[in-house]
Amino acid sequence: MVRLSNVTHAFGGETVIENLSLSVDPGEVVAIIGPSGVGKTTILRIIALFLEPNSGSVTLGGQGVWSLSEDERLRLRRRIGMVFQEASLFDATVERNVEYGLRVRESWRDRLRDELWSVVGSNGTPESVTEALDLVGLSDKLHQEARSLSGGEAQRVSFARALAYEPDYLLLDEPTSDLDPRNTDLIEDAVLEARDRDIGVGIATHDMHQAERIADRVAVILGGGIAEFGPAKQVFENPADERTAKFVSGELVY
Amino acid sequence: MNVPLEPVAQLLPAVVDFPFREGYVRSIIYVSLYVSVVAVTLSTLFSLPIAIVMGFSDFRGKQFVKSIINTGMGFPSVVVGLVVLFAVSNQGPLGSLELIFTKEAMIMSQFVLATPPIMAITLAAITGVSENVRDAAHVLGGTRLDVALVVIKEARYGIATAVLAGFGRAISEVGSVLIVGGNIVSSDGISSTRTLTTAIQLEARQGQYDTAMVLGAVLVTIVLMVNAIVVRLGDEGAMR
Repeated sequence: MVRLSNVTHAFGGETVIENLSLSVDPGEVVAIIGPSGVGKTTILRIIALFLEPNSGSVTLGGQGVWSLSEDERLRLRRRIGMVFQEASLFDATVERNVEYGLRVRESWRDRLRDELWSVVGSNGTPESVTEALDLVGLSDKLHQEARSLSGGEAQRVSFARALAYEPDYLLLDEPTSDLDPRNTDLIEDAVLEARDRDIGVGIATHDMHQAERIADRVAVILGGGIAEFGPAKQVFENPADERTAKFVSGELVY
Repeated sequence: MNVPLEPVAQLLPAVVDFPFREGYVRSIIYVSLYVSVVAVTLSTLFSLPIAIVMGFSDFRGKQFVKSIINTGMGFPSVVVGLVVLFAVSNQGPLGSLELIFTKEAMIMSQFVLATPPIMAITLAAITGVSENVRDAAHVLGGTRLDVALVVIKEARYGIATAVLAGFGRAISEVGSVLIVGGNIVSSDGISSTRTLTTAIQLEARQGQYDTAMVLGAVLVTIVLMVNAIVVRLGDEGAMR
């Protein structure tokens, strides 16, 4: 389980999140919903061990992350994958993009050998790369240059890239905000498939219907802190918090 | 109609080497290329890590360092030559190495001249790499070195442009190599520190305009080829 306890973080003197506690278990989808600018991205970055919070603790499998050495933290960091709102693909083929996570986990000797092989041809595509691309329906684009993909395809490749090295946790930052309904469906199906593989998924979204469709638990972030955190059904149908009730019913508009 | 090529082919070396001893022009081209290539290679190895560190970090005085690098691009080459000459002269700090009027001294001054454009263009290319791409390399499990390698790969067209721009400056430079190299040809007529530029300057001054023109044509061809590659790389980079 990855857990944030009483986490506070500020940017340039302005507190973005305050005293926030949240957890993601393996095999569940936790949606982090809230209006734009409440710090959903910051929360995901903290869970991804990408950003050290100003105060509070972050644990992965019970281990405090930020008290560890950089090498030990790298080991934990490598159990997590993250997909940004923008696809952020490298200027290379789809295959090179998706296998990146696998490559950085190899020894330098193997990596050098792979680089040399890639000059003369290919030494085979790792199975998990084709599997991950299959999952997002893009296995036919393996050898295409990433920059020639459409926005939706690029985002799906970005998802496959985070999945290819089989992380225990996967964090998605508004992965479908710029996508058409078809690509959105494909990403949502892939999220549920990842959950079935016992991956813990954290997804930040401003789309409440999306959260309702795929989340097991929902954290509602309003004004820096968690207004409500619980099973999706309860949050949407019978919220305990008054502001949450207004937010999910669409009355509370920021 | 068949045109016999043999007589023309036989004439070519005579034209190029006329009225010099055999190998003179070739040795000049060799010295020019050797000095510029070594200086640009060393400068790239020096500039790349600095540009990466500067591109990745924010520190006080960063703008100041940047403006020094940019000023360096317009630095007068004769002044650089003069400073290097002082450094390698017998009384200078590097006097004991006896580098005066050698290719090594020329490499030193070319290094100083090529570094500002190489560093400035490399830095611009590296800072142009999207932060999202850097973050992606990090969250996918990359170490700091992995992230740096990704950035270099993403900026490859800009870096290649930087290297070629530095080479363009070095190969066409005349003032500083004349001062520190001395434009020397050994007794067997083979260039020791004479480059295309300093040879052209000498031939023109002696009234040997035809030979100066031949050497000029060779230099222009080299520079044009390099510039064509720079433009091509710039186009390819822009397409991405």
